[in-house]
Amino acid sequence: MTRAFIWSACVTAIATLLAPPSVSAQQGEPIKIGAVVSLTGPGAGLGQPERNGMLLAEKVINEKGGIKGRPIKVLIEDDGSKPDNAKSKAERLIFDEKVSVLLGPSLTASTGAVSAITNAEGMAELACTGLGPKIELTYKTLYHLLPPQLLNARAMLEYTTKVLKAKRLGVLHDTGYGQVVMNSLNSLTGAYEVEFVSVEKFEVGATDASAQAAKVRAADPEVLFIIATSPVPFRNAREVRITQPIVSAIGSSSYDYVRGMGEYADDIVFPEFVVGEDPAPHQTDFVKRYQQEYNALPKNYEAAGWDGVHIAAKAIETAGPNATRAEVAKAMRGSYSGTLANYNFAADDMTGIELSSYVYSKLVKGHFTRLPFAAK
Amino acid sequence: MTITLLLQSILAGLTNGFVYGLIGLGIAIVFRGARIINAMQGDFALLGSVVAYVALTRFHLPMLPAFLVGVIAGGVLGFLVERFLIRPTEERAGTEDSYLLVTLGGAFAASAAVLLYFGRDSYVLSGVGGDSSINFFDAAIRVHAVWLIVISSLVVTGLKLFYSYTRLGQAMLAASIDVNGSLTIGINVPLMRTLTFVAGGLMGGLAGVLVAPLINIHYEMGLLLTLKGFAAAILGGLTSPLGAVLGGLTLGLVESLAIVAVSSGYKDVIAMAILILIMIVMPQGLLGRRGRRGG
Repeated sequence: MTRAFIWSACVTAIATLLAPPSVSAQQGEPIKIGAVVSLTGPGAGLGQPERNGMLLAEKVINEKGGIKGRPIKVLIEDDGSKPDNAKSKAERLIFDEKVSVLLGPSLTASTGAVSAITNAEGMAELACTGLGPKIELTYKTLYHLLPPQLLNARAMLEYTTKVLKAKRLGVLHDTGYGQVVMNSLNSLTGAYEVEFVSVEKFEVGATDASAQAAKVRAADPEVLFIIATSPVPFRNAREVRITQPIVSAIGSSSYDYVRGMGEYADDIVFPEFVVGEDPAPHQTDFVKRYQQEYNALPKNYEAAGWDGVHIAAKAIETAGPNATRAEVAKAMRGSYSGTLANYNFAADDMTGIELSSYVYSKLVKGHFTRLPFAAK
Repeated sequence: MTITLLLQSILAGLTNGFVYGLIGLGIAIVFRGARIINAMQGDFALLGSVVAYVALTRFHLPMLPAFLVGVIAGGVLGFLVERFLIRPTEERAGTEDSYLLVTLGGAFAASAAVLLYFGRDSYVLSGVGGDSSINFFDAAIRVHAVWLIVISSLVVTGLKLFYSYTRLGQAMLAASIDVNGSLTIGINVPLMRTLTFVAGGLMGGLAGVLVAPLINIHYEMGLLLTLKGFAAAILGGLTSPLGAVLGGLTLGLVESLAIVAVSSGYKDVIAMAILILIMIVMPQGLLGRRGRRGG
């Protein structure tokens, strides 16, 4: 028994000594990156894919050796889609966990609540939103992973005017996300020489918008814009027999909504960034890894979460693992070629995403296909 | 406004009106039989639609049996709510507000349970006739919506006959109006209350399988439906199934016509202003005192 034990111990010790060092061997305390996203509540459709992208990025970065040998740890909190929750969760991450960088939140209102704290601390925040209220422009360490709504509106109009050659447009939008995009669309009518012949709205969460769709149909637009966080208006538009092409916005392009559209998920164009079914060459690795990890195709918000962690890791690496939060924030201010888009965090809108980063997809019988059109 | 647009708005209003009315119907049945405002009525519909969806897509049942299973699931939930939420509250001398709070809590719990086990995605429940529609002067209505209108009308008529001409229906009414009197003449009041909730649950399940093909199944749909159904039930006098459907129709048509005649931006303002006016002029609901008494 004793002899067997000694032999076994010797064999184990020799095997350990001869084993090659692990590629992912990391030493030291993990570098903490905080994230506040909406995993529950109305914003869960954004926050859950963002979380998936972040966790995958954490795994991949650590597999490659972390940051100068130290692993990263992404601490994710759920704000329940509420700004007050987002604020308290961010405070916990910043003051208790002492994270280097904060990612999120998922919603504009929550970003407003959190960015006041990160601004006061001089630390970098990579919001999973586009540019919000004007006060955000005064925050010099708040960066955005998604484009401002004005750019989303331009992306819609680029395709509509250049490919569909349409000038008379109808709009069905909800009173939340849709209203914000609509405000931007209104400011671009002169630049694109288009006219909105009928604009109808419905409340967020409405179970029916067929009367609004009928009114838009009566105005006989050449193209219909539908901007909503729900599949309901897409169904209603086709049910009242609007046969014109539908152009939508990035926020309406989730697989969840497409499933909800049923057989009406056809002939709808989205200006977005990632078409999982046919990714751009620089997105292929991400899509492949995501599929392996989650057995599902990623879209835009997954890519935003993935990019957020990679951008934070790069900034920490550039500034050095022992750098102050302000030094990390400063290191982040520059260009970054991401999976979702090419960013320039030194730009006025604190994201620097340009129209050239958009890709256009079209729903054909429930499946996204990437279109050859590229906006410039 | 063209004839087509007017017709389309009326068809949309009728469809939505019956959707609101079906939920209001369940609220009215429970209030009539138990004097309790049931904030879970929309969640009965949610559960009914989820069960029907699962029966259709995972167990591959034909549509009719799958819908029947959904309706029965609503009835079972109604039974469970009465047995495990309402009865214990009653035994502790609960007041009207505590019943409301208990059912409101139940509504959030039901929604969270669906979120947990069914996910946050929207699901399409196939309707009768698929997605095909019928045209009237270039305006369209889904075949399924026509079935919803027909079935709702039959149910209202059936309930009217049930409460007016059957011993069970009359016993259920009596148990809610005068508990002591009912006990004196041998009516099993607790059983009547249980049956009232089962009837409300069945009605909710029916609403679920009829409404879901028009609006998609989503874990948050229960409370949204309850709010509209509650408005419909109040307009109808709160105790009358027929009144609830009339209330739903009024609400649906007013909303729809406000959109096409004025603006979708003012839809709720106009609809609510008209409803307030109706309630000022007819405080007992659209059917007056007779409807309030359940006539």
